Amino acid sequence: MSLFDLIYAGSNAAWGLAEQTVADAIQQKGKDQKVAFPSTAYSLPVIYSATGMKINTLGDLETALGVAKSLIVEEEDLGKALNAGLSTAVSAEIIESVKYALQEDPYEDEPGIGFVPDPVIRSLGVPLVTGDIPGIAVLLGESESPEELAAIVKDYQSKGLLTFLVGKTIDQAMEQDVKLGLEMRVIPIGYDVTSVIHVVSVAVRAALIFGALKPGDLAGLLEYTKQRVPAFVNTFGPLNEVVVSAGAGAIALGFPVIADIDVPEVPGALLTQKDRSLTVKTSLETREIKIKVKEIDIPVAFAAAFEGERIRKDA
Amino acid sequence: MSHEVLEFDVVSASLTEKAKTDGAELIWDRQQAMKAKCGFGDKGLCCRICAMGPCRISPVEGKGAQRGLCGATADVIVSRNFARMVAAGTSAHSDHAREIATVMHMSNKDGNYKVKDVGKLLNLAKEWGVETEGRENDDIAHEVAEIALNEFGKPFGTQRFITRAPEPRQKLWKEKNFEPRAIDREVVTLMHSTHIGCTGDADSMLEMSMRTSLADGWGGSMIGTELSDIMFGTPTARGTEANLGVIEENMVNILLHGHNPSFSEMVVLAAEEPEMIAMAKEVGADGINLVGMCCTGNEVTMRHGVKIAGNFYQQELAVLTGAMEAVIVDVQCIFPALARLSDCYHTKFITTSPKAKITGSTYIEFSEEHALESTKTIVREAIMNYANRDRSKVLIPQAKSKALVGYSVETVIQHLDKVVNSHTDVFNTVKPLSDVIWAGVLRGAAGIVGCNNPQVKHDKSHVTIMKELIKNDVIVVTTGCAAQAAAKAGLMTMEAKELCGRGLKEVCERVGIPPVLHMGSCVDISRILDIVGRVAIERGLDNSDLPVVGVAPEWMSEKAVAIGTYVVTSGIDTYLGVTPQVLGSEHFTDMLTNTIEEKVGARFTFEEDPVVCAQLILDRMEEKRDRLGI
Repeated sequence: MSLFDLIYAGSNAAWGLAEQTVADAIQQKGKDQKVAFPSTAYSLPVIYSATGMKINTLGDLETALGVAKSLIVEEEDLGKALNAGLSTAVSAEIIESVKYALQEDPYEDEPGIGFVPDPVIRSLGVPLVTGDIPGIAVLLGESESPEELAAIVKDYQSKGLLTFLVGKTIDQAMEQDVKLGLEMRVIPIGYDVTSVIHVVSVAVRAALIFGALKPGDLAGLLEYTKQRVPAFVNTFGPLNEVVVSAGAGAIALGFPVIADIDVPEVPGALLTQKDRSLTVKTSLETREIKIKVKEIDIPVAFAAAFEGERIRKDA
Repeated sequence: MSHEVLEFDVVSASLTEKAKTDGAELIWDRQQAMKAKCGFGDKGLCCRICAMGPCRISPVEGKGAQRGLCGATADVIVSRNFARMVAAGTSAHSDHAREIATVMHMSNKDGNYKVKDVGKLLNLAKEWGVETEGRENDDIAHEVAEIALNEFGKPFGTQRFITRAPEPRQKLWKEKNFEPRAIDREVVTLMHSTHIGCTGDADSMLEMSMRTSLADGWGGSMIGTELSDIMFGTPTARGTEANLGVIEENMVNILLHGHNPSFSEMVVLAAEEPEMIAMAKEVGADGINLVGMCCTGNEVTMRHGVKIAGNFYQQELAVLTGAMEAVIVDVQCIFPALARLSDCYHTKFITTSPKAKITGSTYIEFSEEHALESTKTIVREAIMNYANRDRSKVLIPQAKSKALVGYSVETVIQHLDKVVNSHTDVFNTVKPLSDVIWAGVLRGAAGIVGCNNPQVKHDKSHVTIMKELIKNDVIVVTTGCAAQAAAKAGLMTMEAKELCGRGLKEVCERVGIPPVLHMGSCVDISRILDIVGRVAIERGLDNSDLPVVGVAPEWMSEKAVAIGTYVVTSGIDTYLGVTPQVLGSEHFTDMLTNTIEEKVGARFTFEEDPVVCAQLILDRMEEKRDRLGI
């Protein structure tokens, strides 16, 4: 199957799932059931920033589904394929928003934090602008080697990057005693692949808040994220078509994807790096993140990421 | 004068009006005088290879003469005529290459001809097993040149460069007996077989033509390109300008037209000499403005950024401006009409090669032994002629476009290196190009080449096909007059990325290239063979597996026939925008457009409508992609 076909298959699958999710929720709660993420002024940020449309109820989500569907035009064309990737992002946001419509805090019982509230993004703004946070790494999937995964996370951490974990990488990092938390700059998002949208949501809100972009200016948004949000994605393990189409969404935003398996490579956008000891270097080079490091030869890690660390008696 | 043919070209319109006033005859006047074409010749059914004829075969089967006096059928006659076009085209490219090899053999670090690209020389020396350790560059160059010269007439073996082709292609050539032996031998053998009473089988005639054409693409042309790079430098990306607007009102304008860089390089040197510039100022000009045309124009623009006055059909128009002090030419594609046309103006039409003397021209023989002196004499003639310019007759169309040129394979790869991640890939390969094709970001690649032909609207097919293809994410590489059409149309600028599909646009932005890449002159089509072969080798495939095509939208010369044939024989589908003179034989036409694919995995397509042609190309690329599962 060609790469584009794979993307379309994934986007269709994600859309199908979104449609089903919305239908089930409406059946359960009715069209007027309120839909909102906690602590945000940007409604459903991905949909809002891309279309200018604010979603308030489950019924509104049906319109959003129409938008997502219209983005899937199955032609052998990069622009269309990237749009299909954005469609997957919209579908994912729809699915995630339904979770919040049905439950007060759907992420209550898991380590993932789910939706990232506005105040957190505002607090990240200054270090992002000053380059104190030189990049945003999104780690997705399940690594064959948890040790190597942990080493990657710690490496990003020591370089001051903000790392988001999605899927099994969360458990793997925890098992390897990686300290998680906003102050540690390692943030578990959620187990479902759709939860990756909460990271995308961070990027698009950064564009709205700090780039002063008008909601609905999709071209401006993509330009902003590509130029100003130094994010990238590392995937671990086999990729299913939904992940591939989500990857296309990342690429549409200007975020390269570095996989640890063979993929149809696109220079600068989609790469294979099987040697996980080189994942960090490969990713930083691809996203053109240059880190000014002054190596201090000390027996413990040293980085801004450890600034908020608390020292407990039993630790 | 039929103005209909010029509709596409606004530049020519004003000049053709001027031609009327000046009493100058142009190609379109001659085309009109020609009236309707002879239907027999047009279908390839006329044979005049012996004095029993001329014979002509009825184009209608079963009606009228079905055989020539010797009994040759339409199939045989068409195939013979075609073969002779291939032989002539091959001979032109090959003799060009021989001259380059000859000056390389004369190279001397203190002489006019010096080795400029030592790295490329050493690479070729290595490829050909020439000892380089502890030797002077000149010695190495002389030995390499001698080997190259032997490629033309060696008694045994096959062409050395065929080993550059992908393995499966080499195997196929061997099996089919397509491996070209000595270049001149292939031409001679083909001429032999087209003699009366020799080959009487169209299939065999075509196969021999294919072998001969390979002696061009993988022989003459490739030697020409490789050795030109060694002697005059491998082209690198640079800016220039194109179209008749590059002619300057207050300068001594010299038009360099023809093909061979061993001549044009020396003209460039001569025109840069301070004494020449001083002389130009003495006669009241601001300086010397050297402009190029056709392939020699391409050679000097690729290596020096010399401005491009225009392509094949504009050679008369350049003189018509009345501002051209001299047209200096060497060989190939030079209208003899320039002699008569120059008489209408002060322009000196200077021929320089004993291989291409033209009645009515000023002949100043170019001597390789005294190359620079010789070209200085010629440039002096031009400068002295400045005073004779009749300013009341000057009309320079104010049209020119910026263009980026100089994309040799080496330069393309250098640009591709920009997107290589140093931790996942190695540098200096075509992998990034192959990756974007495989991922579908680019749908394929097209080499658009060839001439101008008054049978179609000038430059229209070139530009239309290019625009259609880049719009659909097909990267275009181009040479010859097609390249100059693209330069004039502004397709060789970074801004042209806005005309591209999303995929090609991204590639242009990331790699830092225009969507249409100027790869040089007509012998430089060997660069295209080289880059396609590298992609095939990168993927462990054959050329014929790749979504890659060759296109000659407005071809006219026998060289173009040889080129098209070697491109198909190399496994690359080829689209002709002018139908060749073969339709008189249904069998031969079917071979070219259909059954040849069984032999070499590629075929010809004849399509004169550029929009339809572009669509056929895109469909074929998708078909090849589907076969690859990409």
